[in-house]
Amino acid sequence: MKKAVSLLLVVLMLVTFVTGCSNNSGNEGKKDGKYRIAFIARAQADSFAAWLANSVMEEAAKYDDITLDVFDGQANDDTENALIESAIANKYDVIIIQPNNGEAQRPYAEKAVQAGIITITTNARIAGIEGSSSVDADPYMQAKVNCDLALELVPEGANVVVLNGPPGNFHADERRRAWEIEFFQKRPDVKIVGEEIANWNKDEAMNYMETWVQANDKIDAIISMNDNMAAGALEVVKDNPKYKDILAFGVDGTAEACLLIKEGLMTSTSLQSAYDLAEALLDTAHKLLTGEETEINIDIDCPLITKDNVDEYIEMHRRAGAIQ
Amino acid sequence: MEKGRLNGSIFNTLSKYSIYLVLVVLFLISWMANENFITPQNLKNVANQISVSTILAFGQTILVIAGMLDLSSGSVLALAGVLLVSTYVNTGSLILSFLVSIIVAVICNIISGFMITKFKTPPFIATLAMMTMARGAALLYTKGQNIYQIGDYVVFGQGETLGIPNPIIMLVITLAITAYILRHTVFGRSVYAIGGNEEAANASGIDVNKVKMKAYILNGIFVGIAGVIFMSRVNGGMPNGAQGYEFKALTATVIGGTSFTGGVGNAIGTVAGAFIVGFLDNIMVMVGVHSYLQQVVRGAIIALSVIYDIWAKSRKKGKKVQSA
Repeated sequence: MKKAVSLLLVVLMLVTFVTGCSNNSGNEGKKDGKYRIAFIARAQADSFAAWLANSVMEEAAKYDDITLDVFDGQANDDTENALIESAIANKYDVIIIQPNNGEAQRPYAEKAVQAGIITITTNARIAGIEGSSSVDADPYMQAKVNCDLALELVPEGANVVVLNGPPGNFHADERRRAWEIEFFQKRPDVKIVGEEIANWNKDEAMNYMETWVQANDKIDAIISMNDNMAAGALEVVKDNPKYKDILAFGVDGTAEACLLIKEGLMTSTSLQSAYDLAEALLDTAHKLLTGEETEINIDIDCPLITKDNVDEYIEMHRRAGAIQ
Repeated sequence: MEKGRLNGSIFNTLSKYSIYLVLVVLFLISWMANENFITPQNLKNVANQISVSTILAFGQTILVIAGMLDLSSGSVLALAGVLLVSTYVNTGSLILSFLVSIIVAVICNIISGFMITKFKTPPFIATLAMMTMARGAALLYTKGQNIYQIGDYVVFGQGETLGIPNPIIMLVITLAITAYILRHTVFGRSVYAIGGNEEAANASGIDVNKVKMKAYILNGIFVGIAGVIFMSRVNGGMPNGAQGYEFKALTATVIGGTSFTGGVGNAIGTVAGAFIVGFLDNIMVMVGVHSYLQQVVRGAIIALSVIYDIWAKSRKKGKKVQSA
């Protein structure tokens, strides 16, 4: 039995190694005249990060002179830092880092730059690393475009509930900060009757909303730092006539949010398009590799999606296969 | 002498039913803290919210009584759930998709059971491995993306039968099954015997491996059922859903009086444990306790219940030694 187990283990490792090698274009410098890019994803269990990783792979396939490997940081600083170190050791031409926690990855990104490797940080950028480039969407702006609409639509003396992302997460914190400055400070008449951390999760948001609906006579708006949580809260009230006019704001522009906006259940979201990020990332990488430019720092747009323009974005998701 | 015996019997009764006493006290405090707590809809919500983790907890209860545990239940739920949603979206067959969920969860548990009985892997490690594998498989299958537009399937988790939400009905059915199995079957008695003293159970002719494997298969069935409810409640196939549910389930089990040293516990206690956590979460959100503080309280409750469990046992032992 012991022999069988060790044999199985060896076979498993061999299979992993062989398939790994056939996916990689090789580990020693530029091979077949192709540039090698390592994309260190934050966590492939996070649906936005997964969307970005998939988009980056698709985009890379469009370049004849680029091969790209994706690595999963598993939402863990240690894992992500180790992956960056391995990518440096493996002499990739470009390392794209989607940090789990910008400050934790900063020294490792600096190491990559020092090793002479083109380093790009994205979603969110790690600012202030000399010699590195970045492609990002500004989380403050993503929330702000929603705040501007909310200033108009949220009724006088409204009761609102707020759903937050994980504390310490750059995008979660910046979006919440935008709501504070761009909405709550301008609208002192609005009362927050419930605020919880739902960790970007739909099921957690649902549970909180169920309780808030019981604890409060009226809730006029759901203010959520991402679409997934807004969708969870709406799941609770969607069939309740008392809440037929409830407003709901999110961020991300997911397929589900677009469908909810189309149905008239959700008010608005702002698009953080993984397609656009991926396109800009590969374009940036290519320009840096060919020496066309030496440093690039850009932000993609964060257009507001409402009932008026949602069809365009539903079509975008349909083309990508996210909507049937 | 007489007084001592009386005190002892009061203590025994109290310690036997202390978990229910805590539940009642918590219920009354919550009622006083917020009048909306007592509304039928709110109580229904709490029962709904705890349904998934409690069904998982029934599987855990059986395993923990037998001196084992399952760390993979949240991940296996996600794998079974996304496959079930995908089956439903592609075939439109409810029965087929339910079967897929249960079969997938059972297969995962058979693999864990096999590792534990055949290779004597500690349950902690075997199910930890399964937790990682199942989550990975769920993400691989969906490419990390949620599956939306699941149609009428949502009725199962969000609908009602005779005014009772379907998840609560499933909760009651699985409770009845677990209680019956533990109390009235040879298998149930074997589970207690193995947890109490595995060697003695073996010596008395119990096929320990067979009972352990059966316990995992049963756990798989519960996980499959929980998957059916979870995905329907969140209206989507979520490969990253139900994260940490294995710990929610273990929390309910431990607070409900099932002992981690094995041989002690029952299904009703687990339900009480789940309701204690459910009521506590509910009232903390209702009265607006800060999210960070909520986590501290939740942790403290777990610590206290385990300390109490150990203290009550050592007191009992002390009594026995004294009377001997």
